[in-house]
Amino acid sequence: MAILELNKVRKTFGAGRTQVEAMKQTNFRAEKGELIAIIGPSGSGKSTFLTIAGGLQTPTEGEVVINGAPMTRLKEKKRAKLRLKEVGFVLQASNLVPFLNIQQQMQLLDKVKKDNMKQEEAQQLYQSLGIEHLLGHFPKDLSGGERQRVAIAKALYTNPSVILADEPTASLDSDRAFEVMDMIKGITKEKQTATIVVTHDTRLIDDCDKVYQITDGEMTHQ
Amino acid sequence: MFLAWNEIKNNKLRFILVIGVLMLVSYLVFFLSGLANGLEQLNREAVDKWEADGIILTEESDLRLPQSLLAEDDFAGEGAADYTALAQLSAIANNGDQKANVFIFAVNDESFIMPNVTEGEVFTELGEVIADDTLKEEGFALGDELTLSSTEETVQIVGFTDKARFHAAPVLFTGFDTLDLLRYGEGTGGESEAVNAFVIRGDHLDQIQVDDELQVVSTNTFIENLPGYTEQNLTLTLMIYFLFVISAVVLAIFLYVLTIQKVSMFGVMKAQGVSSSYLACSVIAQTFLLSLAGVLIGFILTMITSIFLPTSVPIAFQYIEMLIYGVILMAVSMMGAFISVQTIVRIDPLKAIGG
Ligand SMILES: Nc1ncnc2c1ncn2[C@@H]1O[C@H](COP(=O)(O)OP(=O)(O)O)[C@@H](O)[C@H]1O
Ligand SMILES: [Mg+2]
Repeated sequence: MAILELNKVRKTFGAGRTQVEAMKQTNFRAEKGELIAIIGPSGSGKSTFLTIAGGLQTPTEGEVVINGAPMTRLKEKKRAKLRLKEVGFVLQASNLVPFLNIQQQMQLLDKVKKDNMKQEEAQQLYQSLGIEHLLGHFPKDLSGGERQRVAIAKALYTNPSVILADEPTASLDSDRAFEVMDMIKGITKEKQTATIVVTHDTRLIDDCDKVYQITDGEMTHQ
Repeated sequence: MFLAWNEIKNNKLRFILVIGVLMLVSYLVFFLSGLANGLEQLNREAVDKWEADGIILTEESDLRLPQSLLAEDDFAGEGAADYTALAQLSAIANNGDQKANVFIFAVNDESFIMPNVTEGEVFTELGEVIADDTLKEEGFALGDELTLSSTEETVQIVGFTDKARFHAAPVLFTGFDTLDLLRYGEGTGGESEAVNAFVIRGDHLDQIQVDDELQVVSTNTFIENLPGYTEQNLTLTLMIYFLFVISAVVLAIFLYVLTIQKVSMFGVMKAQGVSSSYLACSVIAQTFLLSLAGVLIGFILTMITSIFLPTSVPIAFQYIEMLIYGVILMAVSMMGAFISVQTIVRIDPLKAIGG
């Protein structure tokens, strides 16, 4: 069964002459344990796709279903709950809270959601991301790469069934980038998550189960 | 609380500023309320001490004690649980060094308005008085012989009592015979005494029967009609109310600006799925902590200041009232927080993360 489904989803911005079709009508499904890459030039609609899939914005038409729940038909409050339970975001912009140290970023997630990673498992995650020595640090004391790795840890910490990553390796050197992709792949297989990674680094897509290309809002399977 | 407290810990300066604003506002509110109380007491503490319910004055007196002239047998106590006559004279008392504006109240030494003596003894002889003890701070002492502005006669302080100021002046208590002497000189008396008022105790003022030319009013009404009393009170009360409004606006703006600065941070948390209500609770908890701290520090500061104030500044604290004002100030800050909560609820996580 597909854990993430987009049925006849379309997204337009604006109206009349200035209307932009950021996403043409798209059907998409992702299964458990699947690692999917999405590539495409800037402005092609990759982020739009990812945020619609994760319930951060509603499509103009069509329906998004996550783990059987009709995301598009839920009120914002319910959608937030569903996001928290099912979706792990790794965003282009750093999604860290400035006044919490790395350990506390995870504690915050424990405050708002149950069934997160256990101590041991989390420790393993930190080690594989190379951030175990940073737990007492605040985001402002980290380099861009470190911050990105913490953001990944944060997304995985809640044991989501769907992981949506928007250029997660953008600010990493290529060794780290490969390492992080391996990491993401390992977790996808181990935890049986559906993982969608937006990237423009084509070297990183070799290990992926499926690759989609987006051009001008049109999604094609490679 | 987790978010609220960690944010405070990591942005100390910012939150010290917020606490500072709250502290200053509450300092001012507490201080003004202390002054308002002090001024009130200055006018009414002698009357409050009687624990009386009402007072009988003449209709034509317009509720002014000196203008109310009646005879001792004008009222015989119909409908009152207890009653007693009161006569008064105002004068400047001079002990040779110091002058003070005083009221001289003639009271019956067996009546319920007879003051307790805290130092010295009660008046027994003609010309003896019990004085309010604030006169001690002005340089008057037991045994002082006082000349009075309106008469050749002198009186002597034989005792002191506490809490006996009326209409911003200390009161000297004495017997009716002494007051007659001061009013009319030697060789009078015998007929029915002239008094200024009857002080009454009783739960049902409306059932008290008096002649047409007399009126019964509650002691509160009597005090509120002291010249200047209500005006003074209203002025200070208005200032306090304005302060509440001003602090509400200032704090709402302050908290709003703080919230606006954090929009993108709230946005990323919301994107993750942290609910608006969790964030809202956090902001409200934070405001609660800050306002509690501000009000408490303001209170402590007020207390410290009052220790160093000269005694001539009439300041008196009513802790219940201060508690209420403190709670209002906190409520007002919370209202500011609620405006910010509206903003948080409306934050679109998508816009905030700039994805
Ligand atoms: N909120 C928005 N309002 C108007 N147009 C938007 C908005 N978000 C995205 N777009 C447009 O949709 C298209 C796809 O954007 P995006 O999904 O961000 O592309 P990508 O992530 O591939 O660079 C772009 O043409 C962009 O200008
Ligand atoms: Mg993008």
